[in-house]
Amino acid sequence: MGKNTTTTQQTVTPSLAVDLAGLKLSNPLMTASGTCGYGYEYGDFVDLSRLGAFVTKSITAEVRPGNEPSRIVETRAGMLNAIGLANVGLDAFMAEKLPPLQRMRQDGPRIIVNVAGHSIDDYVNTAGHIAADEDVDAIELNVSCPNVSDGLTFGTNPKLLKELVGLVRKAMRPACKLVVKLSPNVEDITATAAAAVEGGAQILSMINTYTAMTIDINKRRPRLANGTGGLSGPAIRPLAVYLVHRVYRCVARDAGVPIIGMGGVQYWQDAVEFLLAGASGLAVGTALFADPATPVTILEGLTEHLRQQGCKSVTELIGALELHTDPPAAPYP
Amino acid sequence: MSLLSDNTTPAQAHGRGRFDATVELNRVICREHYVLRLRLPGGFPPSLPGQFVQLGCRPPGAPDGAIDASWLGGCEHAWQPGDTPPQAQQPELRERVSVLRRPFSIAGRGDDAGGSWIDVIHRVVGVGTAWLAGLKRGDAVDLIGPLGNWFTLPAGKSMGLLVGGGVGLPPMFYLAQALYEAGWDAVGFVGALTADLLAVTFVADTPPDGQGAPWRCVEEYSQFDFPTVVTTDDGSLGMHGRITRGLERYLSAQTREDAAKTVVFTCGPNPMMHAVARLSASHSVDCQVCVEQAMACGMGTCQSCVVKIESPQDPHGTTDAGRPWRYRLACTDGPVFQAKEVLW
Repeated sequence: MGKNTTTTQQTVTPSLAVDLAGLKLSNPLMTASGTCGYGYEYGDFVDLSRLGAFVTKSITAEVRPGNEPSRIVETRAGMLNAIGLANVGLDAFMAEKLPPLQRMRQDGPRIIVNVAGHSIDDYVNTAGHIAADEDVDAIELNVSCPNVSDGLTFGTNPKLLKELVGLVRKAMRPACKLVVKLSPNVEDITATAAAAVEGGAQILSMINTYTAMTIDINKRRPRLANGTGGLSGPAIRPLAVYLVHRVYRCVARDAGVPIIGMGGVQYWQDAVEFLLAGASGLAVGTALFADPATPVTILEGLTEHLRQQGCKSVTELIGALELHTDPPAAPYP
Repeated sequence: MSLLSDNTTPAQAHGRGRFDATVELNRVICREHYVLRLRLPGGFPPSLPGQFVQLGCRPPGAPDGAIDASWLGGCEHAWQPGDTPPQAQQPELRERVSVLRRPFSIAGRGDDAGGSWIDVIHRVVGVGTAWLAGLKRGDAVDLIGPLGNWFTLPAGKSMGLLVGGGVGLPPMFYLAQALYEAGWDAVGFVGALTADLLAVTFVADTPPDGQGAPWRCVEEYSQFDFPTVVTTDDGSLGMHGRITRGLERYLSAQTREDAAKTVVFTCGPNPMMHAVARLSASHSVDCQVCVEQAMACGMGTCQSCVVKIESPQDPHGTTDAGRPWRYRLACTDGPVFQAKEVLW
């Protein structure tokens, strides 16, 4: 479908709306947690109301100062970070950071709050508390942070993950959706994806950063004070596209669980790759640091691409990947 | 917005944004260092010394447009003028440059009929600055700014000592202009490892003093009638030794009354600023530091450019000496901090 239609360009604007397990977004574009702060920081540089959803940085029960600097280093086509979940804590988030997001929500984007914790109780309490707010459309569970000592405890153990997700789901306001953010730092991502779905995850987001390291060869020490960090940016995009494809085909498609794809999304072509691989939502992360308007630029490119492909809706691209082993959809003329 | 005002007001309150700038000149000032003047035809929001800009160190815009024919040397005959040039299919294959922007202090600024111009000084240390070094008049640069806070001129003070080491010099030049306009006196202190790394313009026939006496030997300061002390670590020009040697000589010669009117403003490598802060404190002179930290966004979201600042309010921790501290962001809480509050 869609092939050889570039000559019959449509004048109708294609629909960009997507439905993620009942979470209706005006378009698939959103911010990746931790790359857009609490929303107001980029206000001068991008009209966030054009996003489908806004995802906050990770919120924890307590205030977290984060790791010692240096916390970031740029690498070839990417960057390593070891921020360490620095955030204002639950109380300050609810009192100071959520109200501006509630106002932003009136203009369009749905609000997804990312939550991290030390223990099951910690996750359950924080997620339950935040989800009680009617303006919080979804909670994204961060079980995949590579930069704090216990950040990957749940994200790499399917049994624990299923238990955690189940308990968090029960503690949440029913209408608030539960997103589980998967780590690529596992042996088999389909096992953690399946565990999250069995536990009650309604949406999967993937992927978090890859644990990685870079070394100052003169000092013979890691460039990051934390030693290791999470690799993000264009460097990981092909890895992320593959994992989205794999989880879509092995778990998500049959379970009817939509995927929010992310990892090095910088241009509209990247977004299309993730959609074809099976993502229904698209998060932009590292690229925001260089250009906060990236999601809006992608939106424009994506719309034009849909028009050229003769698609009436962006949903026609989701999972539309054809493998080389598939029979051709349409014979060449 | 004024230098005299408190610098804790969020900079965004004064307007900031992303701009398409054009290179007006990109001149080598000394080994590895360039002065880059960027023209913003539509003007630039109010800015103050200490503030910085984030430059995209790669061709602006998305790379999915027409392929640059010049890359294909000799193959231009493959299509005719007016044809649609081939389109890049894989954007990442055109990525030969940095992912993140690079922060640069504003070294000077002017406004005229052609809009605004901004000077930055950059040293070639990697792929981003190497790209900047290749810029020619008329080239496009993507700029975000003005970012961060600024130096303040406390009431009751009227003498500024501008201590700039290496790539810490640019904000000092911008500050000199502001001090002059505010009617302050000032002395420039300029230091580098060796003479050919001094990113300044020397006044003809007036070599810097070898004993560290302030002379009108550096154009960037003498244009405002401010004298300068020049130091080099290897003694190849000016006073032999680190910049703190020149500063110590000056502070030691000051009367108590003069010291009470003096503020040290400094920017440079962290160990240098730490030494300048200690020296200022030992002479009971106020000191403001403009810190440099690696940062991804420069806009307060990535949380990477943290600095430990003494903070009795909402501390993140306590030092071994019992001082409460909090991580502040160099990009939005800084880059200018009171030296006595920085926990080095």
